[in-house]
Amino acid sequence: MADWVWSNVVVALLLMGTGGVVFYARRSRMWTETFSDLWRRRRFAVLVIGFYVLVALLDSVAWVGGMDQGEDTVARYEAQSILDRLFAGSQERSYSAPFADVEFYGGAPLTHPGAHILGTDLIGRDVLYLSLKGARVALLIGGLTSLLAIPLALLFGISAGYFGGRIDDVVFFVMSTLASMPGLLLLIALIMVLGKSTVAVCFALAITGWVGFCRVVRGETFKLRELEYVSAARALGVSEFGIIVRHILPNLMHLVIITFVLMFSGLVLSEAILSWLGIGVDGSWGQMIDQARNELSRDPIVWWNIVSAGLALFGLILAVNFVGDALRDTLDPRTLRETE
Amino acid sequence: MLNYVLRRIGYGIFVVLGVLLLLFILFFAVTTPEDVARKALGERVPVAVIEQWKVNHGYDKPLLPGPGAWRDNMLVEHYRRMLTFDFGRSDADDVPISERIKSGIGPSLALTLPLFILSLVVALPLSLLVAFFRETYIDRTGVVLAVLAMSVSILLYIIGAQYIIGRVLHWFPISGFDADPRVILRFLALPILVGLCAGIGGDLRFYRTVFLEESNTDYVRTARAKGCGEARIMSRHVFRNSLIPLLTRVVLAIPFLFMGSLLLESFFGIPGLGAITVDAIQGNDFSVLRTMVYIGSLLFVGGQILTDLSYGLVDPRVRLE
Amino acid sequence: MKSLAKRFSKRALFLFVLLVLACTNNPYPDADSDKKILYRSYVEAPRTLDPAVAYTTNAHAITGEVYDTLLEYHYLKRPYELIPALAAALPEVMTLNDGWTSYRFEMRKGLLYQNDPCFELDGPGHLTREVVMEDVAFELMRLADPEVNSPIVEPMSNIQGFQDFSARLMARREADPAFSEQPLPLQYAEVGPIEGAKVEGRYTLTLRVSTEYPQILYWFAMPFTAPVPWEAVEYYDGDEGRPSFSDHPVGAGPYVLSEYDKQSRFVLEANPNWYGVLHPEWKAPAATYPSEGAPGDFEAGRLDPEMVGQPLPFIERIEFSREKESIPLFNKFLQGYYDAAGVIKESFDKVIHEGGLSDSMEESGISLEKSVQPSIFYIGFNMDDATVGSEGGERSRKLRQAMSLVVDTDEYTRLFSNGRGVSAQSPLPPGLFGYDPEYVNPYRLIDLERARELLAEAGYPDGIDPETGRPLELTFDTQDTSAQGRLRFEFFTRAWRQLGINVKIEATNYNQFQEKVRNGAYQLFMWGWIADYPDPENFLFLLSSEMSRSVSDGPNTANFQNPEYDELYLEMKGLPNGPRRQEVIGEMLGILEEERPWIELTHSEAYSLFHKWLKNVKTMGMSTPMTKYRDLDHGLRAQKREAWNRPVLWPIYVGSALVVALVIPGIFTFMRERQ
Repeated sequence: MADWVWSNVVVALLLMGTGGVVFYARRSRMWTETFSDLWRRRRFAVLVIGFYVLVALLDSVAWVGGMDQGEDTVARYEAQSILDRLFAGSQERSYSAPFADVEFYGGAPLTHPGAHILGTDLIGRDVLYLSLKGARVALLIGGLTSLLAIPLALLFGISAGYFGGRIDDVVFFVMSTLASMPGLLLLIALIMVLGKSTVAVCFALAITGWVGFCRVVRGETFKLRELEYVSAARALGVSEFGIIVRHILPNLMHLVIITFVLMFSGLVLSEAILSWLGIGVDGSWGQMIDQARNELSRDPIVWWNIVSAGLALFGLILAVNFVGDALRDTLDPRTLRETE
Repeated sequence: MLNYVLRRIGYGIFVVLGVLLLLFILFFAVTTPEDVARKALGERVPVAVIEQWKVNHGYDKPLLPGPGAWRDNMLVEHYRRMLTFDFGRSDADDVPISERIKSGIGPSLALTLPLFILSLVVALPLSLLVAFFRETYIDRTGVVLAVLAMSVSILLYIIGAQYIIGRVLHWFPISGFDADPRVILRFLALPILVGLCAGIGGDLRFYRTVFLEESNTDYVRTARAKGCGEARIMSRHVFRNSLIPLLTRVVLAIPFLFMGSLLLESFFGIPGLGAITVDAIQGNDFSVLRTMVYIGSLLFVGGQILTDLSYGLVDPRVRLE
Repeated sequence: MKSLAKRFSKRALFLFVLLVLACTNNPYPDADSDKKILYRSYVEAPRTLDPAVAYTTNAHAITGEVYDTLLEYHYLKRPYELIPALAAALPEVMTLNDGWTSYRFEMRKGLLYQNDPCFELDGPGHLTREVVMEDVAFELMRLADPEVNSPIVEPMSNIQGFQDFSARLMARREADPAFSEQPLPLQYAEVGPIEGAKVEGRYTLTLRVSTEYPQILYWFAMPFTAPVPWEAVEYYDGDEGRPSFSDHPVGAGPYVLSEYDKQSRFVLEANPNWYGVLHPEWKAPAATYPSEGAPGDFEAGRLDPEMVGQPLPFIERIEFSREKESIPLFNKFLQGYYDAAGVIKESFDKVIHEGGLSDSMEESGISLEKSVQPSIFYIGFNMDDATVGSEGGERSRKLRQAMSLVVDTDEYTRLFSNGRGVSAQSPLPPGLFGYDPEYVNPYRLIDLERARELLAEAGYPDGIDPETGRPLELTFDTQDTSAQGRLRFEFFTRAWRQLGINVKIEATNYNQFQEKVRNGAYQLFMWGWIADYPDPENFLFLLSSEMSRSVSDGPNTANFQNPEYDELYLEMKGLPNGPRRQEVIGEMLGILEEERPWIELTHSEAYSLFHKWLKNVKTMGMSTPMTKYRDLDHGLRAQKREAWNRPVLWPIYVGSALVVALVIPGIFTFMRERQ
């Protein structure tokens, strides 16, 4: 089967997984209350995030064929997402300003006069299209990294906190070692070694990112282990694994949610810095900003590139930060403070 | 007490050794000295010259301990050199790394120290203020502004500030550096401003949380019930008792002052350690890069030990054992 | 608390006052504004300033000023013409019978090196000494020394006995470790001299060079062959706090490197020992402003009667500041803090509008100097590759031809350098012998239809690879991982996608890229070449078999090997400029046209922007700095800087008002709550 089929399957699985989680969460009073509270307090931010997710989904569902890409004959053989199809053939030759009818330089007429709401970039791609495509990359960076980092942190944090002793010593040592290296430098060194690809960048971000959360998980597990009902379960002969799955893990879920949200914005912002160093992810907003950086010295200045990418980035981070704040206020007034 | 200090330091050393091992894996096992030599010398170089270069830079030994090379190998050499602070020469241009670090510390501190002090001077009173007016519009505006400030990528801050303040308003030079005390201020103004804007959101939010938590504790409520003035409560009780989390954050920030700021220094042309590091990254100068990581972790571990010890000084309840 | 707040506010006030006082964007000490200082910038410090090794434009910007050479290019005349510099006259050339040609150089008498502590080696109190021909011979031996690792060993091997010397030196060093501990001058004296470089007396040097390589003279206009005092090489060994020789040049040039901080700043000061300063009465051609030039020089003010015949140099100091990012650099240029925007790529987007100056630039008195650089940028095919290379025969040739037919260089230069650059038809840039302005390469036209036909003939109808049934996939390897670089590569891949060829961009870091090149695991690459000297040989050798990467690790990265081409190349190399040479070059270009190892892109154009206070600007093309000929009007500069950089202060007032507006209601709220 072709790659694009698989990626669609992954999207479908993710959607189903999310649906399952929502279904499960609806049965728990704590979660329904949390989310109704969130919806009441941060409706706009939640909607904004929803919009970004929707755009990313539109850009994730892709299939081959069924559309004319004009001059680009290779595209016929490549999977095109819904977003690609919406913007098919919006290509110009070079810069044009928002809503312009002619090219920025030379004033040659555009193929689609007035159709580029945010203008086009140096090689004539629609900036709105590029900014929207960035959403998928950003969510991928945040999502994939969290998917790697959170299980890692849970695994090590719980085993260290629950079993203590030697395991705890080893985990704690690894954590202190990673934590004491300057984060950005470790990140760069890892990417230099792993090579430059989306997965490599996410992997490197995960390796540098899991430590903080792991420490929290370890501390919480430590406390949970001493609780009476856990001792009771142990006395009743429930297996260690059973205790962890039934009693420890559910009580860490709120931390997972908050961490996910808080980590997310940090990850997307770090990627922008990596892009500036030439080791970011292709198609990210960071890359767009970096590409547009030198265009500010044109006259009249070409501002729409950097402003669009910057605003798209800002919008997502802002919404996520607001939601993260609200979640933290409701779910956990204290524990996570130290992780900042 | 002494026992604790010694144990703490011992553990710190252990961590540093771990860092060194990771560095070795990252920089030696994966990238061969051959690659580094070719990068430094160019492509059309006779093998003899490359061999000579490897000898000069100490890359000519077997990688791992093995028969015949239990002592004389790169792993041991790596530890020996790093632990004795003998960093050798840069892979890219043969300048002694220690000299480069010496030349970079001054400019780095010239930027980070004022930035650090200013951000404390600005963020602490502001967050006290916001905590003081909690649940009023000042608090809400403050928090929203903080989140707004946090959500902007530092790249945009830098580019925006250079464009607006440097180019359009002509307040300060767009970039550059001159250690001459008569002119140094004009170069530092813009990066400090940018650093302040980029950092203040997170600081404000953090300090506010700390203060709010403290002001919800029982003894503060008691004090309030007693009729103690709010300003007095804030300065006497809340601020004092928030010192531990504040200290953790502040002391841990100090080591990074020496490391400089990668982005600010690089964009504003300040020849500090951050800019040196960025150069090393862009030029694949691994020897400089690994030295910088090492020094960074050394400072961090040292800072952590100091933090732990200082808890005892600030809070008599904490016993160091 | 209150006292604390008071203290803080006092401090804040103090800082605010300080900041307002500091409110100027002048990056230089104010006292410097009435000096003739030229302000330049650099991106990356050169790796070395050793004249035998330094091979980059940014290194030559320093070594070219510090090390004077025997010969030099005429500042104004085009095509390029050699004039004597340290030499009293151009060398006497004599063709000998046995395949050698002799060149006899005479050096001027009474030339001095710059003052430098290294000359204490000659005796206490010595600050300088006379420049003698032995120093040139010494430098030639350094070029031959394998440990110096000079990049120009290959062309210099045309000097009789050059390789011999090198081999003798190595053998001696290996045989006798004590020998290699000796100072270099002693080692050279023992093993030397180079057979074909004979010094007679103090001032005469006779070279014997292979008759096939008349281009040797050009190397004597480059810092590689400048006289170098052995004292400097000996003294600056990097020990005991002394810098190494590669960071501390000592020469006999018009400027002296007085400050060298790689991270932030270099300063060159006029050299009081330079012969132009000591002996203006000599009227030496390379130390006096020229009286004749190329057409257009007079109109451009480069032959101002007030200048002609004046002793050089005019500018007393050159300051280089580091600018890693191009926006700050360019903005500072606009503010008058750099006198010229150098030859850095993106820096002058703002001013260039379709090849000319924009109106606002013209108003502020900025001038533009264009000159085509003797350079070529190209996309190369790896001819060792099975799909695109010579192995595929006719099929691959047609593929290369088809791919060449869709790369629109005019559009490329328009987008990425605002039209800066001349579309290349062959490797030879304009201004060189053999360049034919009439020549149009039929495969460098844009012809999508023809390209599709050729592709079909090659067996890839509509770009479909018959083996996979999908578009043909190729890789384009690069070490440029930057976001801006990616745009460029996407421009090319988009063109090929029109043909149905799917070219993937593989941006890896330097090491991985070099590894690929070493293993021959690459298909397409983009590369550039800037000439060392203005001779077609310096371009056409890039495609000769003996230079091929896979055979000799040479610069022929395309691994192009064609016996017919090689034969013509050898003939062309030894021919004097004339009809026969033109003919041979024509045949060579014909082969390249058909074979398409390269898709020639552009000959870059150097656009130098400079402010009106900078005078006598003429770009050299080759990396030969000529600051000594330039002049500047610092009075005008100071005046303009002040006019352009008045701080705009209203936002401070508005900002303060906003803060007050925000705080006052807060105070009221507070008051209310207390009640």
